[in-house]
Amino acid sequence: MKFSYNQEAVKNLKIEDTSILDRLVDYRHARDWRQKKDHSQRDKRMSHSEAIAEFVSDGDIWYCGGFGYVRTSIQSDWEVIRQGKKNLQSIGSPNTNQSYGVTFGNMPFTHASYAGAEMRGYDKYFSENVKRGRVKILSDWSHGLMALGFKAAQLGVTGLYSKSGLGSDLVKYNPYLKVMNNPMVDGNDPCVFVPAIFPDVACIHVHAADKFGNARMYGPAVNDIAAAAATRKLIITAEEIVSNTDIRWNNKGVVIPFQNVDAVVELPYGALPGYMPGAYYWARRWWEKCFAMMSEGDEAMEGFIKEWILGTKNIYDVVKKLGGSDFIINNRKLARAAEADNEDDGVSFKYEPWSPNTPPNVYD
Amino acid sequence: MAESKPMNPLEMVAYVLSKQVNDHEVVYIGTGLPMVAAILAKKTHAPHITFVYESGGQDPIAGGMPWSVGGPETYRKSPMIMEMAYSFGQAACGLVDTGFLGFAQLDMYGNANTTMIGDNYLNPKVRLTGSGGNNDVGSLCEKLVFVGIQSPQKFVPKCDFITTTGLMVDGVSRADLGILGKGPVAVVSTAGVYDFEPKSGRMRIKTLHPGVSADLAQLASGFELLRPEGEIPVTEVPSPEILEILRNEVDPQGFFISMPGA
Repeated sequence: MKFSYNQEAVKNLKIEDTSILDRLVDYRHARDWRQKKDHSQRDKRMSHSEAIAEFVSDGDIWYCGGFGYVRTSIQSDWEVIRQGKKNLQSIGSPNTNQSYGVTFGNMPFTHASYAGAEMRGYDKYFSENVKRGRVKILSDWSHGLMALGFKAAQLGVTGLYSKSGLGSDLVKYNPYLKVMNNPMVDGNDPCVFVPAIFPDVACIHVHAADKFGNARMYGPAVNDIAAAAATRKLIITAEEIVSNTDIRWNNKGVVIPFQNVDAVVELPYGALPGYMPGAYYWARRWWEKCFAMMSEGDEAMEGFIKEWILGTKNIYDVVKKLGGSDFIINNRKLARAAEADNEDDGVSFKYEPWSPNTPPNVYD
Repeated sequence: MAESKPMNPLEMVAYVLSKQVNDHEVVYIGTGLPMVAAILAKKTHAPHITFVYESGGQDPIAGGMPWSVGGPETYRKSPMIMEMAYSFGQAACGLVDTGFLGFAQLDMYGNANTTMIGDNYLNPKVRLTGSGGNNDVGSLCEKLVFVGIQSPQKFVPKCDFITTTGLMVDGVSRADLGILGKGPVAVVSTAGVYDFEPKSGRMRIKTLHPGVSADLAQLASGFELLRPEGEIPVTEVPSPEILEILRNEVDPQGFFISMPGA
C-alpha cells in the first residue's frame, strides 16, 4: 500500500524517505503478520532475555506500556538497552522512558507525545538530544489522539475522527493526522482524522498472567488494552505466573487475551524503579537522581546508564542496588497505603529528596 | 510554625485558582498547581467536585498529593478506572465541565505552548514536554482555566508552537476551527486573574493581586492586556485558615507551593 501522509508535516519534519513511517499505519501488514502466527493455546513462558532477544528486532516500532512511571515495563526497556538493540522507534503516551534509550543509539526515533517528569519538569536530557538530532521526531501527538490511534486498531477500524488537535500545530508536525471535514455534515465541521496505529512490538507489565498469555492487571490500563491488540508482537512480563484456572476464577481485571501474546515472562518487580499499583511504591530518590543526572548532561547520564542498566544483569541486581530488602519492605507498605489497601493512618510519605549527600542504596 | 510564614506568590496562585473551581463540577486535572488548587477547593468551598485524570483514574477518595496524573492517589478506591481513550472521550461527550492547565507560553487568545521554545522546531532552544493530554483537555472540556507564572517570556504575542488551541488562531475562531466547548474562560497568574473579552476573544484583566497595578501587570506581558471599564478589583487573598490547609494538608512536602530556593 502507498500512504498519503500529511505533506505539510512531512515537509516541516524534513522526512525525506517516508517509508520509515509506513509500518505504523500499515493495517494490512499488521493483520497478515498476526494471521500467520500460531494461534494455539500453548505454553509461551520464556526468560526475559530470551523474549527480548527473539521478539525485539532492530528498527522496530517499540511501544512503551504503562504511564510514565506507573506499571511501566521499565525493566524491559533496560533489557533492550543491555542487548544493544538499535534504531528503535519509540511510541507511547507518554514516552518519558525513552530518554535513557537515546544515549547509545537504541531509540533514536520517536513518535513524541510527552517526555518529562510532570511536577519535576521537562526532561532536559531528552530536550538536549532533540536539539542535537540524536532523537528524530517522526510525529508529534497529543495523548488523546494517540490513544484514539491505538483504540482504532483494537476496534479493527482504519481510523477515527476526533475533535482534538484542531487549530494546533500538532497537525502540522504529525504526518499521520489530517484535518478533514466531517463527511456526515453539510457545511463547515472540521475534524482530525486519526489512523489506526500498529506498533511492531509491545512489552506490557502486568500483575499476573497464565502461561498462555491471558493477562490481568489492576490500576489504570492507560493504552495497554488497545496497544496489546494493535501490536504485531507482544511480550507480557508479569509479577507472577498463575494457573489458567486462577485467571478464569478471578477474571476481573483480565484485559489481554492470550492470542495477542507471543511471550510470557515471570518478572517480579519488573516495573521498578517505577510504581506498581497495589504492589510497590516508586523509587522516589532514584528518579530524582536520574533527573539530576539528566540536567548535568552527557557524561553524567552515560555514567548513570552504565551503572544502572549496563551494570546490572537482571532484576535481582536492580533490587539490590535500590536498597534490597529495606527498599522492598518499605515500598510495599507505601504502595498499600497510597491505595488505601492497608491502615494508612500513621504511614508517612515524608522523605528527604535525593541529593549528592544521600547515602548509597537509599532510593525509596 | 507554618502560619507565621508570609504567603508566597505560588500559594496565592494556588488559592486563586482554587476559587475557579465550582462545587459539583467534574474537573479535568493536570499535574502541578492545578492539582494543588483542585484539592484545596475540595477541602474548602467545593467538597462535591469530581476529579478526572488522563491516565484513567477518576473520583478517588482523599489521599496524598498525586506525584503523577497516573499515580495511586488519582484512582485511590475509585468506583472505576477508565482507559485513556475513554477518559478523554468523556470530555468530548460533554461530561467534563472544566479543565485546568499550565503553560510555558500563552498568547492573548489563550493559545498555549508546552511543546518547544525557539523558531526552529527541528533545532529548538528548548524541547519541552510535548502536549501530553493538554491539547485534548483544551479541545474537549467545556471550559478551560490556565494557570502559571506571568512574565513577558510567558505571555507572548505569538506562541512558538500552539500545543493547545484557545479562542482564535490566525483570525479563525475556535468555533470555525471546529473545536468543542467554550475554551479558555480564565487565566490565573502571579499578577492577577484574567478573562477573555467576548467579541475579540482577547485576554482582559479581571482582578489584580494586592500590590500589582495594571501598569505593572502590563510590564510583565508581551502583549497588550485589555482593561475593564472602571476600577480594577483587587484579588481576594486566602485567610490564614486556608493557608494552613494548603500548607499542612494539601502540599505538606511543599513540592508545588514552595518558591525555588526558599
